[in-house]
Amino acid sequence: MTDWLLVATTATEANLLAARWQMALTLGSHIILATFGVGLPVLLLAAEGRYLATGDREWRSLAHRWSKVFAVLFAVGAVSGTVLSFELGLLWPTFMSRYGAMIGFPFAMEGFAFFLEAIFVGIYLYGWDRLPRWAHWWCGVPIAISGVASAWFVVTVNAWMNCPRGFRWEEGRVVDVDPIAAMLNPCTGAQTAHMIVAAYMVSGFLIASCYAWAILRHGETVYYRRAMTLGLLLGTLMTPVQFVVGDWSAKVVAETQPVKLAAMEGQFKTEAGAPLRIGGWPDEATRTTNYAIELPGMLSWLAYKDRDAVVRGLDDFPQDETPPVAVVHIAFQVMVGAAGFLMIVSLWTLAVGAFRRRLPQGRVYLLLVVCAGPLALLALEAGWVVTEVGRQPWIVHQMERTADAVTAAPYVGTLLVGTLAVYAVMGVGTVVVLRHLASAPGEEVPRDA
Amino acid sequence: MTPDVLALLLIVIGLTVYTLFAGADFGAGIWQVNTALGATKKERALLYGAIGPVWEANHVWLIFVVVMLFGAFPPAFAAICQALWLPLVLAVAGIVFRGVGFAFRSYSVGAEREQLGWEIVFAIGSTAAPFFLGMAVGALASGRLVVTDAGQFDGNYATGWVSPLALFMGFFTVGMCAFLTAVFLVREANQQGDPQLTDLWRSRALATGIWMGILTGVGLLYVSTDAPLLWDGFQRRSGALVAGSVVAGVATIVALVSRWYRGAVFAACAAVTAVIWGWALAQYPWLVPPSITIEEAKAPDRVLWFLIATAACGAVLLVPALGYLMWLFKVGRRQDQ
Repeated sequence: MTDWLLVATTATEANLLAARWQMALTLGSHIILATFGVGLPVLLLAAEGRYLATGDREWRSLAHRWSKVFAVLFAVGAVSGTVLSFELGLLWPTFMSRYGAMIGFPFAMEGFAFFLEAIFVGIYLYGWDRLPRWAHWWCGVPIAISGVASAWFVVTVNAWMNCPRGFRWEEGRVVDVDPIAAMLNPCTGAQTAHMIVAAYMVSGFLIASCYAWAILRHGETVYYRRAMTLGLLLGTLMTPVQFVVGDWSAKVVAETQPVKLAAMEGQFKTEAGAPLRIGGWPDEATRTTNYAIELPGMLSWLAYKDRDAVVRGLDDFPQDETPPVAVVHIAFQVMVGAAGFLMIVSLWTLAVGAFRRRLPQGRVYLLLVVCAGPLALLALEAGWVVTEVGRQPWIVHQMERTADAVTAAPYVGTLLVGTLAVYAVMGVGTVVVLRHLASAPGEEVPRDA
Repeated sequence: MTPDVLALLLIVIGLTVYTLFAGADFGAGIWQVNTALGATKKERALLYGAIGPVWEANHVWLIFVVVMLFGAFPPAFAAICQALWLPLVLAVAGIVFRGVGFAFRSYSVGAEREQLGWEIVFAIGSTAAPFFLGMAVGALASGRLVVTDAGQFDGNYATGWVSPLALFMGFFTVGMCAFLTAVFLVREANQQGDPQLTDLWRSRALATGIWMGILTGVGLLYVSTDAPLLWDGFQRRSGALVAGSVVAGVATIVALVSRWYRGAVFAACAAVTAVIWGWALAQYPWLVPPSITIEEAKAPDRVLWFLIATAACGAVLLVPALGYLMWLFKVGRRQDQ
């Protein structure tokens, strides 16, 4: 736990802490924006598609407003992504120098997907009055596709850091590089699917959450109800999918990174028929996880499909190769807990929808939907903490330590302070502009916007 | 052609397109600063309208350059980031504020004061980005970034990169962006049938064009005194490009005077392109003179071929899409005005 507090004794350690906090801040913000880049285009297409099908201007009005929200988030995401691409070199020059060749290919593919997205975003946003209706809708399709493609390529890089494949290390250089094997490593499938489904869930639930709040405050209108329904459709349909993908993801972690699984579950001792712990607080001094509800044999079964399977505990690994257990375990509990809540909301919504052809009614349901958005976001961030902190102390799993990858340059602390200031301005600005958009009257098309 | 040279070629192409198009987008903000935000409503509409649909796509060329650089020449990227961290961080800050400033101003319609605030942010960011990117290029080109065998920058992180050429290049790049914007906007104003704005931008284009001609000469003086390695390369390889740049610069002025605006756009692009390629050719084969050559920094051949193939396949998708974007907003503008 201590390495997450800003307590550093040496210059390198100080750099490492500052650099990790900087990555946490910038990636933690970017992941939200990127998520909207994946999910919002789908909602836009749905709303505009309803307009094309029905000719109802309210649908167009909804799509038009969402397109402005998307424009703001896309612009902020584009610049925060640029920050990240430079940060790779500014903070982790050793890592980039050694492994840039391994991750360049997927990043190049991602670059092109992003390029295509940016081009069609320009056409879509400024083409409302310039293109025929159907052509405008079709210009949204490449945005939705390249959003998913970008997410896929970027997450393959993270998957590679968890499951480094496709090269040998010889005389301080990577040799025998196989970019395809690196990209399609054993972690790629589950991790990319998990992230993309999460992006859809977060976008759907957050949109639904905003409009549920609007209904609670201002009363129900057709406009609000439609907006909320579209968001809920995306979110609630994706949630059951995520349970399957999440299970797959955990099995891959068990297979490829048993130490991460042990940290996630607070499993200190190696044991057969390991229990699934719900909640609890891992104590690294006594090597036990206290106050947890334990379901006997369930962890063995979930991870290896066998209630008696042996699950390796943290004590089985060298002390200096295990991640901070408390952070990983608690983040994992938060993610699973939030996901459980979303599952309840989803099942309720889907059941009522299937039998009554409408959404559940009443204030309680609306309140639950209001909570679903922030909780989906919380689950996203917590899941990201699990995979990143759970990989520590490695930047490339069992190949390179994070501490060896960080720059020795003296600027890291200054950079962190500056970045905090810039991101504060960016965050406040985004909120102010989105609020302005939310309060603006609908259905005007600004000439220069 | 070996894959490392091919990859370098792609990087220089990316850098060129970025300079031409994103440079012109930066120029819009630079002109806002130059006129102390005193532009009339009509002028502002032209400025912001011109960059609105295209600036995001133009920005991606920078990402392309960065990604190609770290994928194809990883140690060079690491060295550049370390040694030039200060100008690069300031440039990225400029890029951030330019981007959010533009997006936020576009969607603050109706809130006058906020919109003005974001326009100021946009204008300052747009000026800072090319200024510091230019400084970084100048610092690189002046050939004094010493990197140890372990890949560590061997110098003062705060001031080690500063050189006369670096400082000069900051101002030169800002001027170049302002020049490109002025030339591009003459054509757009003319296309929209606005004689008043056309004349305004024509006079601005002429003035910056003449200034940039003088500054290019001064720049060569800086190179000859401050960057011996680069100067050597200029003398041996870049003569034709220097001459080409001069010819294209003069052609821009002539085209502007004779009101042939499309010709001016092409000539201005050619002039700027010749400057960039003159520099690239002169510096070859050094990526970070005098420390890292492309031979030392290149990734394994297979990686390079994958990157080149990605660029080739990407181009098949991108070129028509980009063409459509430009046709829609740059060629077909007249019809709806």
